[in-house]
Amino acid sequence: MAKKKVFQISNALTEGLEETVTAAHNYNGELRVEIIPLKKIELDPENPRDLILSFEDLHHGLDKEDKDYSRKSEEKSSLLSLANSIHEQGIINPIVVYKFGDKYRLVAGERRTLASILAKKTDIQAKILDKKPNDLKISLLQWMENVERKDLSLWERLKNLEKIISSFLKCDNEGIATVMPVELSRLLGCSLPHAMNYCAVLKADNQVKELIRSNKIKNLEKAALLSTIKSNELKISAIEACLNGATLKKLKSLSSQDKFKKKFAIKTMNPRTQGRQASLVNLGSTKKINVARIIVDSVLKNEKLLHLNQYFSDLNWTDYNAINHAFRQLLKTLEQIEA
Amino acid sequence: MTKIIVNATHKGGEGKTTNSIMLAEYSALIKGLKTLIIDMDPQANFSGRYISMEYDPAYRGGKIPALHPDFEPETDSEWDGRSSIANIFYGEEVIPYPTAIPNLELLPAHSHKLQEAEAVTKNEVLEKVHLQLRRFLELPDVRGSYDVIIIDTPPSKGPLTIAAIKAASHIVIPAQMEQFSIEGIYGMLQLWKQESYYRAKENQIDLIGILPNQVRDIKLHKQFLEGLKLMKGVSDYVMPRVIKKRAIYTEILVEDANPKSIFELPKTNVARLEYEAACLYIMERAFTHG
Repeated sequence: MAKKKVFQISNALTEGLEETVTAAHNYNGELRVEIIPLKKIELDPENPRDLILSFEDLHHGLDKEDKDYSRKSEEKSSLLSLANSIHEQGIINPIVVYKFGDKYRLVAGERRTLASILAKKTDIQAKILDKKPNDLKISLLQWMENVERKDLSLWERLKNLEKIISSFLKCDNEGIATVMPVELSRLLGCSLPHAMNYCAVLKADNQVKELIRSNKIKNLEKAALLSTIKSNELKISAIEACLNGATLKKLKSLSSQDKFKKKFAIKTMNPRTQGRQASLVNLGSTKKINVARIIVDSVLKNEKLLHLNQYFSDLNWTDYNAINHAFRQLLKTLEQIEA
Repeated sequence: MTKIIVNATHKGGEGKTTNSIMLAEYSALIKGLKTLIIDMDPQANFSGRYISMEYDPAYRGGKIPALHPDFEPETDSEWDGRSSIANIFYGEEVIPYPTAIPNLELLPAHSHKLQEAEAVTKNEVLEKVHLQLRRFLELPDVRGSYDVIIIDTPPSKGPLTIAAIKAASHIVIPAQMEQFSIEGIYGMLQLWKQESYYRAKENQIDLIGILPNQVRDIKLHKQFLEGLKLMKGVSDYVMPRVIKKRAIYTEILVEDANPKSIFELPKTNVARLEYEAACLYIMERAFTHG
């Protein structure tokens, strides 16, 4: 009897359909961008700031009597180049705000907002959230914003990441390193290898971390590689190479020595399993005459075999043919002795 | 608020046009709603059901709408007498055509012009194409004239389909319960998802659902339908109405068919009952959601 037919939508397609619907539910409205008047934007008093320059300072001009005058004017001039580019082309990424009464409170994009005021704009592109996002969301949004910024150092990115993970896992600093790469890649929407690199660096020892903090190591892949080297000596030489500008490839080959022994061990434990059963021992071959010589010398040190010296006493150690011939003689004689 | 219902799926032959026809005729004939139908498909089949379409002399195989009944060559010196929805992409005026069905008006396709809009690749222009239909349908004059707008789309995920989705308040995805069709649903859901990201929460696009179409009494169709209904989240979007494969649905499309509409069949006719139930579901959903 013929087999009963069963038709099933493939797992991959099922998964894809389910994920799409869930994502659409969870994130609807997330990418809405509108243009809002700059005058309606205010800072969130609960969020920490890096700058002390206020919106009023820019709307009305700096006050020379202000006790922070010099710092504020420094901050203002640091915004000038951004203001220029906004004047020319507008902002590339919209800022993020949430509704607060009839005003909007800033979640991300303080510098862009200030620079837009400076560029004499009246309004700005903004993503508008319905309510104040929770800590995890704020840190994620700041992460996404900052990923775009080139001037952000690896250390600053790591600090951001620690914030995200601690609000995600609801844990203290100790717990941060327990985050799994899979979780992280989902959280950030980055690739798994990228997340694995971040996880490795989060677990780095103080020496490596200090080098990242002082901006001596700027590259995530290199930092991740250095964080995973186990042997101390190797790590010291790898760090030195890295500081001297070694490429990632170079560092990889350096660090692979760490794994060399392991690899070798695995190979000898897995003898070939294909083909005919072996019935003889192949002693192999080498191009290095020295190696052959070491073998011969070691064999001839054996007291029982001293008399075999005859095959090698006047051997020409530069002639491969002669050496091969002597080895064959040696093997034959050894076989006879053992038989 | 005018409801804008889009039938979309990028796989061909799923029943977009047939479903657009049924919905339009249900809306105008049965519900007596002021209905506008828009044909975004360069194939112009939807248009051809309601007005006569002519072969485009300048573009082989393409179709253009016949002269508008209100066109008067003596006085309309600025107008060539034809109007199609493609005009909105060229900054030209759009004049709907009346149809033989009361309450039903049509903005027909124009093959060549629509294909040109579909072929746009330059980013600035593309954005304009994407938003143009929405801008047009947001005009108070348009909104004020109709209760329901039904849009038929080409079998693609290109600019014309995207434009329709951006203009829509509701989407229907007609689909057969077959492998390629289900893959087509996946593609359409991506567009819906993307659009829902961009819409404000209070103005979300409402996916009325997947309408299982041309369903036959075979194991494959039954089991795929069951499979869809078992999927987490997706099950909410499988319409509880099913359209079976029936000869009458294609016979009714023939030029001299009699009666012309499924809704002119006797009230007890199985096919009429079946499609009426589906249309009722879609309409009720459209007027209670969003």
